[in-house]
Parts: sequence; structure tokens; C-alpha cells
Amino acid sequence: MRVFLIGAGQVGSTILEALHSDHEITVLDTEMSRLQAVADRYDVTTHEGDGTSRRDLARAGVGSADLVLACTSRDEVNLVAGMFARREAPSATTVIRTSNVEYVELWRGGQLDVDFVVCSELETAHAISRIIGVPAARKTDVFADGQVQIVEFAVEEGASTEVTRLPLRDAKAPTDSKVAAIIGRSGTTLPGGDDVISPGDRIVVIGSPQAALEWSSLLAPNGGAVRDVVIFGAGRVGSQIARVLLEQGIGLRMIEISREQARRAAEAFPKARVYRATGFEPDFLERERIGQAQAGIFAMRDDAKNQYGATLAKVHGIPFTIAIAHEAVSEAAFDQARIDVSVNPRRVTAEEIVRFALDPRTKQVAMLEGNRYEVLDVTTRDSSRYVGTAFRDMPVHGALIGAIVRNGAAVFPHGDDVLQVGDRVIVFTEAANVPWVVEAL
Amino acid sequence: MLEALPRAHRIGPRRRLAVDVPATVNLVGALAKYLGLVFLFPTLVAIWYGESVWPFLAAGAITSGVGLAVERSTAGAGRRVGVREGFLAVSVAWLAAAAFVSLPYLFEGGDQLGHPIDAYFEAMSGVTTTGATVVTSYDDLPRSLDLWRAFTQWIGGMGVIVLAIAVLPRLRVGGRQMLESELPGPELAQLSDRIRHTARRLGIVYVALTAIEALALAALGWLGADAHMSTFEAVSHAFTTMPTGGFSTRAGSMSAFSAAAQWIVVVFMLLAGANFALMYRGFVRRRPRSFLRDEEFRLYVALALVASVALTAQVWGHGVAHGGDAVRAGAFQAVSILTTTGYASANFALWPTLLLLSLFALMFVGASAGSTGGSIKVARHLLTGKVLRRELDQTVSPEVVMPIRFNGAPVDERTLRAIVAFILLYVGAWVLGTGVIAIDSAITGAGLGTLDAIGAAASALGNIGPAFGSVGPMGSYAGLGDVSKLTLIGLMWAGRLEIIPVVVLLTRHYWRL
Repeated sequence: MRVFLIGAGQVGSTILEALHSDHEITVLDTEMSRLQAVADRYDVTTHEGDGTSRRDLARAGVGSADLVLACTSRDEVNLVAGMFARREAPSATTVIRTSNVEYVELWRGGQLDVDFVVCSELETAHAISRIIGVPAARKTDVFADGQVQIVEFAVEEGASTEVTRLPLRDAKAPTDSKVAAIIGRSGTTLPGGDDVISPGDRIVVIGSPQAALEWSSLLAPNGGAVRDVVIFGAGRVGSQIARVLLEQGIGLRMIEISREQARRAAEAFPKARVYRATGFEPDFLERERIGQAQAGIFAMRDDAKNQYGATLAKVHGIPFTIAIAHEAVSEAAFDQARIDVSVNPRRVTAEEIVRFALDPRTKQVAMLEGNRYEVLDVTTRDSSRYVGTAFRDMPVHGALIGAIVRNGAAVFPHGDDVLQVGDRVIVFTEAANVPWVVEAL
Repeated sequence: MLEALPRAHRIGPRRRLAVDVPATVNLVGALAKYLGLVFLFPTLVAIWYGESVWPFLAAGAITSGVGLAVERSTAGAGRRVGVREGFLAVSVAWLAAAAFVSLPYLFEGGDQLGHPIDAYFEAMSGVTTTGATVVTSYDDLPRSLDLWRAFTQWIGGMGVIVLAIAVLPRLRVGGRQMLESELPGPELAQLSDRIRHTARRLGIVYVALTAIEALALAALGWLGADAHMSTFEAVSHAFTTMPTGGFSTRAGSMSAFSAAAQWIVVVFMLLAGANFALMYRGFVRRRPRSFLRDEEFRLYVALALVASVALTAQVWGHGVAHGGDAVRAGAFQAVSILTTTGYASANFALWPTLLLLSLFALMFVGASAGSTGGSIKVARHLLTGKVLRRELDQTVSPEVVMPIRFNGAPVDERTLRAIVAFILLYVGAWVLGTGVIAIDSAITGAGLGTLDAIGAAASALGNIGPAFGSVGPMGSYAGLGDVSKLTLIGLMWAGRLEIIPVVVLLTRHYWRL
């Protein structure tokens, strides 16, 4: 597929990382230095030019593209570029990135002439809501309209011995779920019956939402309903997170230093309790019992503040912290600081955009463990090698079928089940095996 | 070196007044011109009953004539009544209206109403829809004059609706801003357009409810269910219920009528105390859910219920009345005082102290904002309660940000401050009025004891009407000294205009920049 990418910043390079090997990619950017960096690493065509200039777009060859991705950091540029691309390449799919939910609403209302709008604030909020929704989860993603969940758990010391410290084939794992990977100190394994889940490991589970919750209570017995989450920062990201979490019925408190933003948040969210404070004063944290919160979400503009705030919150007793990492380097720093989950809005956005670039049969994809593993959602063809094969007879090739979606309903396959034509297969696999898996199915 | 500045660069002369007084007087004149037409109605009534016609014709002619003359003499191009002029306009309008309305009393009031202060008291009580009266012997009044008393309240009530929904919110009086968007309409319309717009829409509700009540009461008389309820009485009482006025054609107020008539009046008093803009949405636009969604309406109904139950229990407990009579006595008095109507179905002045205190407390509640009722009003109590709750929350957590909401929409802090200021001014005016009346009564030896003075001041300021003791529902204000009467006139006037427009006129920077 010919992909035309506008913007070679953080989102752009993350997309390139995922797509460069299988697609013919042209990159347009105004900054030569960024293009140079991209060209050094990937086999792509680069053009210096302005996304808002129709002439530049035409000269760079947008007309022959199958997929146009406008993902600069500026909404206006993406909008204009998306609209021009629509004229230059009427048959191409156009996807634009935005940081304003208003554009998503406009697009849903049919007011924006592009195929898809991906909003980083909204994607970030959804990513966080998936984590908070399953209390012990570190990362989750949903497939098949929420019927299939893929969840990464941290295994705690107090985890139930029904599933830990014994070989997997003896574990009483929740029904309709599969352990796709065990990430231990020694590395990641796609587990067999002999492998053991130990406290300190992280595991990836594919299963029904119900099973995900069961796993959650098995691995973190002190979980339960989420009634008190504190969001630090009520800016655009913080407010979007609040909106999504409140819709899920999660109890919220918000802390914001700007008087104006605090007032706006308090007016917008009658159910949330909003404080005007930095969130760093020990006196305030102590008096308002911020430490009693079940989770803290750090959505301030400054990564350094998010990291410090999260650490301070841990000191005050918040057991679970999620921090927004605006810069890619911050993710590693957050990890070092023992922040439980870091969410990078740009990466979340890139993942969402990449979904449009993959094989039309492949509906969704999630990247785990720094892109080493991917989750694919592939529809089987007549010519698929394994159609008619029982699941127990399938080879183990660094890939695992977590679930299949048959006639719109999710099925969690057992050894005797047989793969049929037209099944949507949700596969957990190493990134290197993606082409092979897609081809085989 | 002195340099002659070009003429255009010289600073202008000092303007003495910050208020466009001629424009304001012009507006009041225009209103008076139309007020003259109102006198046609009692003229027709006088013809019907074969009574003297000239007092009304003369009063009407004087009113229109003065109005026209004033309007002509102050006419000028480019005059515009803005917010600044609005305060003066409403204040003067009610003073002037009372003066014109008092003319028939002067001409034909005889001993009871002929004295200028008495006539002005009765007229002010009418146009402010208070219902306090100096009449002692109702049977001696001509019927046309009796109906005129009721009709002044009805006209005053129309003015009150416009004042409450179109004018006071615009003048940002006492936190009325929250009602600014009550009626859909052009946001930046001129005050006069707004008045016309509101009067036209809400006038329908007002007129319709009055007509329905008059028919309902008259039907009782026609069907023989109430021997005392003549068509004349039905119309008179409908004229004084909808404006929450409270003038009656009888010395015994509503106690002269049947239980059915009293219950009908209770229902219409409750309606009169509801927000007319809300009733327009609910009844005319056929959105009955608006009532349920309105916070103030819910609290208003709840207060009416609680007050009715509380009074019923006390009436029953003290043995004043029993069974159904106790329920009716409790509900009638509770709703009458809560809505600031001021009818009575029993002489509550004779009730035990605890009951009097309950009624006294109700005097400070008032009906809904946007109704014809007076006093502090439910919306202000509601928002004050929310402010207090927030203060308590912030005592524990100073950092917490809590916007105060009214019907879901955040209320801005200036509005809240204005409400608190209003309540303080209200209480201040009441204390001041009480003091003057008590001192006057002590000096003249006539009239009221201190406790009765407290009640009379609260009643006048809340535009209720009756108080306790000799000025109770079956009594009269006739025996008071002139200073007391003038004080009560001032309280009725200030209370009706929600005090702030009157007090604003006393500040230096209103007049001079």
C-alpha cells in the first residue's frame, strides 16, 4: 500500500516504525532535519514541503497514495492537509490527527470531509479508562466491540495461588481466557503448560471482559470497585480523562493550580470534587487524605511535574499511579521512578492511526512491550492454511490465538474447536512474525 | 508661552448629573398616560351599579392628562432609558402610580379613605399588591370603589410580573441576574422592548388564571354551594388572588366564604406564587416537565406542604380547630402568608404565640422569584443555603472549588454576593421600619405595641398585608399615626422594588460621577 505521511515528528516516526517494512511510504515535512532523521532510519521517500500547500502536496505525489495520514502536531495543518488530500487523491483513505475533541464531534456529525479523525486526548482518556476499569491491569485494549479484552497484569505478592506458583496446566484460570505471555525477569515467553506465573512477573491475558475482571481480583485481591481516583491537572487531557471516567461511574477528585481551569472543571463536572492547589503541598495532601485515593492520574503539562507528583503521591500512600508522558524519553524515566503506568498520548495516537494502514482484513492492532509484540485481528480466507484445523493441532510459532469472533460473537477456543473461513482471529504475536501470521491466515 | 488650543481639543464643561432625569420622567409620563385608561373599568362598574361615575372619570382624565403633559414637556430626541435610569424609573413609577390610583379614594373615600395619607396608603398597598388596608367598614364603601381596590392590585400585579422578570434582572437587583434568561428573547433588547415582550407573553398566563379563578368561584355561587359568593365577590377575589394582593371585600376576609371557596383560593394562591415564566413554559408551551425540573418550584411546593402540615398540627394541637377544619385553617394561612397574599380564613391574630411565630417566620420566606409575591423569595433562600453549605465545606477544605448551581447552570459569584447583600438590606430595612413605627406608636400613644410593630413592618416590607394584634387579618391600619402609615408606605414601596433600586437612589455616585 502506498502511504502518504504528513508530519515526521513523534507520532509520524512511531507510525513509520510500525509500517515502514511492509508499505511504500512518502513523508512530507517542513523541517529538513526531521526528514533527514527519518530517512536515515527507514527506507522511505521524503519531501520537504508544507502540508497546507496544495502545490507541495501534489508535487510530493499525494495523488497516487492509497492512505493519507496527516499527523503533525498542529490541528489546523492536519485539517487543511486532509481536505486537500481528499481533492488530490479522491480514492485514498484520509486519517487526520487532532488534539481537540470538538473536531471528532464535527467529524461524527459529518461536518469534516475526511475518513477518520483520531484525537490524542480522547485516545489517551480511553487508554486510561481501560486501565482503571480493570483495577489490577497495567494495560488493556479491547477488540470486537469490547467482547474481547487483552490485558497486561502485574502479578502481586498477594496474588491467589490458584493461578500463580504452579504450572499453568494445573492453574484454575478463569474460563474464556488465555495467558498470552509471561513477562518475567528473564524475558518474555509465550507460555506452555509447564510455565509458572510468579509474583513480580507481568502477564498478558486475552479473554472476555468478565474473565479480565476475574483475573484482576485473582492477581490483585485488594482491588474492587473504583470509587476514588484523583486526577492531577484539569487541562485538556485531564478534563477529557475526567469526562470518560465519570461516564463509567468512577468517583473522581481533581486538582488544578490554575484558577480559571479549576473553575471550568468544577462547572463541567458537577460530580467531581475539584481543588485549586498544586498537588505538591504536604499539608494539603495530608488534610484532604489524597493518599487514600485508589489511583492517581497525573495529567499536567509538564512531565517533570507528573513524575514528581506521582512519586510524592506514592509517598502519601496512593497505591497506583498513572502518568502522562508527553515526551518519549519520559516513559523510561517514569518506569525508573516506579510509576505504575505511563501513557504517551502521541504513541497512543500513532497506534490508533496505524490500525488504518494495515491489511483491510486486519482490523485492529495493539503494540505491547515497546512494539516487540502485536495483537492482530485478522479475518481468515478460503486459502488460509489452517482453516479446518483444530486449535490443538496448530503449530506454536511465537503466536497465540486468543479469541475468534464468529458471526459477530466472541468465542474463546478450546483444543477441539476448528478454525473456519470468515472467522476473525485475534492473535498475539511477536512483531517479527506479523507478516507470517497474516499470510498464514 | 500660552498656546491657544484648537476648539475641538478643549475639554468639555462639567455635566452635573449622571442620570438622564428628563428621559426617566418621560418614560413615567408615558406609563401614566396609559394608566389613565385603567380607570375606564371602574367607571363601567359604577354605571352598572348606578353609582357616582365622576370620581373615576376625573381621576382617569387627570392621570392621562398629567402623563401626557409630562411626556410632551420632556420629549427630546436621542433620549434612551438605560440601566442607570431604570432604578429611578421603577422607583418613581410606583410612587406616581400610587398617587394616581389614590385619586378616587380622595374624591369619594369619605371618612375611611378621604384623608390624603389614608388614600395614599390604600393606593400603595394596592399597586404593591400588599393588601394592608385602612378600611374599617366595608359595607359603607360604594361597590365601584370596593372593586377599584381589588382592581388596583390586579393592575399592580401585572406591573410586578414585568418588574420581576423583565426589569429587575436587567438592573441586576439582589441577584436577579440568575433569572436573566427566563424568557427566550433578544438578549440585548432595550428595556422598553423587553417590558413589552414580557408583558405580552406572561400577561396571557396572568389573565387566563384570573379568569379561571373568577369562573370557579362564581360557579360556587351560581350552583348554590356558597351563598355568600356573588359574581361581584368572585371577580373581586380573583383580582386580588393572582397578584398575591389580599384585599378582600369583607372585613372577615375569606372566612366569610365556604370551605370549597377557600380551597379554590388556596390553589390559585399557590399558582400566583409560582414563577410566571415557568408557568408560561409549562402551561402555554405545554412542557409540564419544566415544573419538575425547576429547583425553586420544587422547594416552593415542599415549603408550602411543610408549612401547611406544621400549621395544621399546631392548630389542631392547640384546639383552635379540629379535623378537616384544622387542615383547611393550617393550609390556608400557611399558603396565604408564604405566597405573601395575606388573605385569612380565620382570625389568626387571636392564635397562640407559637402559631404566630410560625406565621411570622413564613413572612420572611416569600414566594418564587418571577411571581407576583413579595418578601425574600424561595430562590434567594435556596442559593443562600447553597452558599452556606459551600462555606462550611471550604472551612474544612479551603482549596475546594465549588460553583453554585441553580437549575444545573453555574451561578456567578457576583450574583451570589448580590443575594447576600439583598438579604442583609432586607433585614436592615425591616429593623429600621420597626424602630420608627414602635417609636411613633409610643409617642402618639395610638396603634401598636412593639411586637405588633415588628409584625407590621415585616408584613409591609414583604407585601403581605395583615400582621398581628390590632392590624391582624380582621383588623385595620386606620388607627395608626401618620408617621407609622408613611413608614409602612415606604416599606411597601421598597419591598416591592426589592429595596436595592430605592437604596441605590441614596448613593452619591448614582447621581454624580
